[in-house]
Amino acid sequence: MTTPHRHLIETDGLTKTYADNGVKVPALKGIDLTFHAGEFTAIVGPSGSGKTTLLNLISGLDKPTAGKVFLDGKSVSDMSGAELSDFRRDHIGFIFQAYNLIPVLKVEENIEYIMLLQGIAREERHRRVHDILRDVDMEDYAHRYPSKLSGGQQQRVAIARAMVSHPLMILADEPTANLDSKTGADLLDMMRHLNEEHTMTFIFSTHDRMIVDKARRVIVVRDGLVASDETRN
Amino acid sequence: MSLYARLAWRNTFRNKRRTYITGIAIAIGLAALIYIDALYLGMANNMIAAATASFSGEGQIHGRDFLLTQDVNKVVSGADRIMADLENEPAIKAFTPRTLSQGMVTSTNNVNPVLLVGVRPESERALSQMDDVIAEGDYFAGSDPQNIVIGRKLADLLEVGLGDRVVVTVSQAGSGQLSQDLFRVSGIYRFASDDLDDGMAFVRIEKAQALLGLGLGVNEIALSFKDSRVSQDETDPFWAKYGTGGNEAQGWPKLFPALKSVYQMTTAASLILGVLLFAVVSLGIINTLFMSIYERMFELGVLRAVGTRPGGIRKLVILEAGSLALLSIVLGVALGLALSLIYSHTGLDYQGVEFAGVTIKELIYPVMTLKQYVFYPAGVLLFTLLVGCYPAAYAARMSVTGAMKRTL
Repeated sequence: MTTPHRHLIETDGLTKTYADNGVKVPALKGIDLTFHAGEFTAIVGPSGSGKTTLLNLISGLDKPTAGKVFLDGKSVSDMSGAELSDFRRDHIGFIFQAYNLIPVLKVEENIEYIMLLQGIAREERHRRVHDILRDVDMEDYAHRYPSKLSGGQQQRVAIARAMVSHPLMILADEPTANLDSKTGADLLDMMRHLNEEHTMTFIFSTHDRMIVDKARRVIVVRDGLVASDETRN
Repeated sequence: MSLYARLAWRNTFRNKRRTYITGIAIAIGLAALIYIDALYLGMANNMIAAATASFSGEGQIHGRDFLLTQDVNKVVSGADRIMADLENEPAIKAFTPRTLSQGMVTSTNNVNPVLLVGVRPESERALSQMDDVIAEGDYFAGSDPQNIVIGRKLADLLEVGLGDRVVVTVSQAGSGQLSQDLFRVSGIYRFASDDLDDGMAFVRIEKAQALLGLGLGVNEIALSFKDSRVSQDETDPFWAKYGTGGNEAQGWPKLFPALKSVYQMTTAASLILGVLLFAVVSLGIINTLFMSIYERMFELGVLRAVGTRPGGIRKLVILEAGSLALLSIVLGVALGLALSLIYSHTGLDYQGVEFAGVTIKELIYPVMTLKQYVFYPAGVLLFTLLVGCYPAAYAARMSVTGAMKRTL
């Protein structure tokens, strides 16, 4: 999917300050990071450390107070609202902790949704849905509504939805937090497999020890700063 | 079905109870609007018919200023030619000539002022209902030129009955000299209207013309139309065509301004009702949509996160409003149609009630029109879509991270 080791994301002095009842609360204090294509990265840190804010800014869900985010050399921080929507649609896949499927859409429709936004032809959409459901081992559940699926199955569908549009990277927020350990481990194995097979870039925000163990790069964020950045072989 | 339409339709039924309650409220409002409009129209038609069909006709032709002065000298100019033209006029259903003059009717016991009307019984039957309300005797059944037909109240005032003789005194045209003749009461009618029952007396037109010294002159040509809309439309070329050469041609809105006001009032009442309905609809829709948005904050945040533009969210919420409107319209039209159908068969009994000087004589039947089933539902749909723009704009403006509360 992407060329390995290529600079995918760069953050330059990324700063975010929230205002809470008139009091300025710094969440990020000037972070400089580079993510490469094909990475399987875990961002860890205690609650309130800034890891969620970091991913919000990388994905264009929020705008930095200062500093910039570059994706493939293009500044995400300077994009307008509609440009950001298109940017997320075309380049980023999201997996949230829970409740992230649209309940009134069937499994196949949830997966198809982003491709519909992209204007991909019907035949191509159906082919991709079929292929990705096979990859996440959910072929038999295409016509079910999310409410008829277990938590693990829902997350598999969420992974399928995140990947089907061939994004540059997938950002996952505590994807295993609501799952039992075995389901979580299976899911993680699947994501690792997809990462290796498709060279798909995964960036996790997590407390889960399993994810940290499987990650090839672990970034520890503390008090809005990068405390450590370790790459494993 | 498009992606957003599919999503919107399914979202509409996520909270069925709320959707049905709101939908039924809107439907009842729409049904009330449809039914009351039909009822008002039926009432207006009933009153117009009561005023025009009983005697006056839907339109009249007079010599200029006759109605203003009631001067018997002001006859219809070229009446013979006009009546020949009316015979070939495609819009005309019936017409009849009349003389109209003030006079006195005297019996052996009493005297009473009347409007003496000279009529041509054959054509009068096709236009007025006088022959239908004869309580005693007949309506110029024989050929006796001395027959006179009077109302029940006038007969009581004069203390006369069938076959009794009365003297009619009028002021002759031109000279102004008094002219008298003896008539025999051949018919007594009973309208549910004081003006008609005690203030008028009818004789044959030839006799009236002779008595008044009018020659072949007539004071009025009363008209009824195949399509009653011609009588309401003051811009119809008919009125200009016959309102020339020293004559005035007028439809009932000009002849009976009070009736016109009633007609306008029914339109205004429907409009006010419509405004009230739309106000209720707007509050219901806004409330329902906001409840729905607040319940789905995270979900809307996810939609935005995965790349749905603000315009897409706006479209989705507006389509949800449209779905709710469609549901309500189906229910409302069905309910309004059922009510109108039931009462258009049974009718509503307001007989005897007098309104704007007109007595309602028959059952009121609601009148169904295309407007009620096209314009009003379309209005509800458009208004709902318009009102939906407010919550839609709110949903589209939400920040993604704010909507998701706990997000990446």
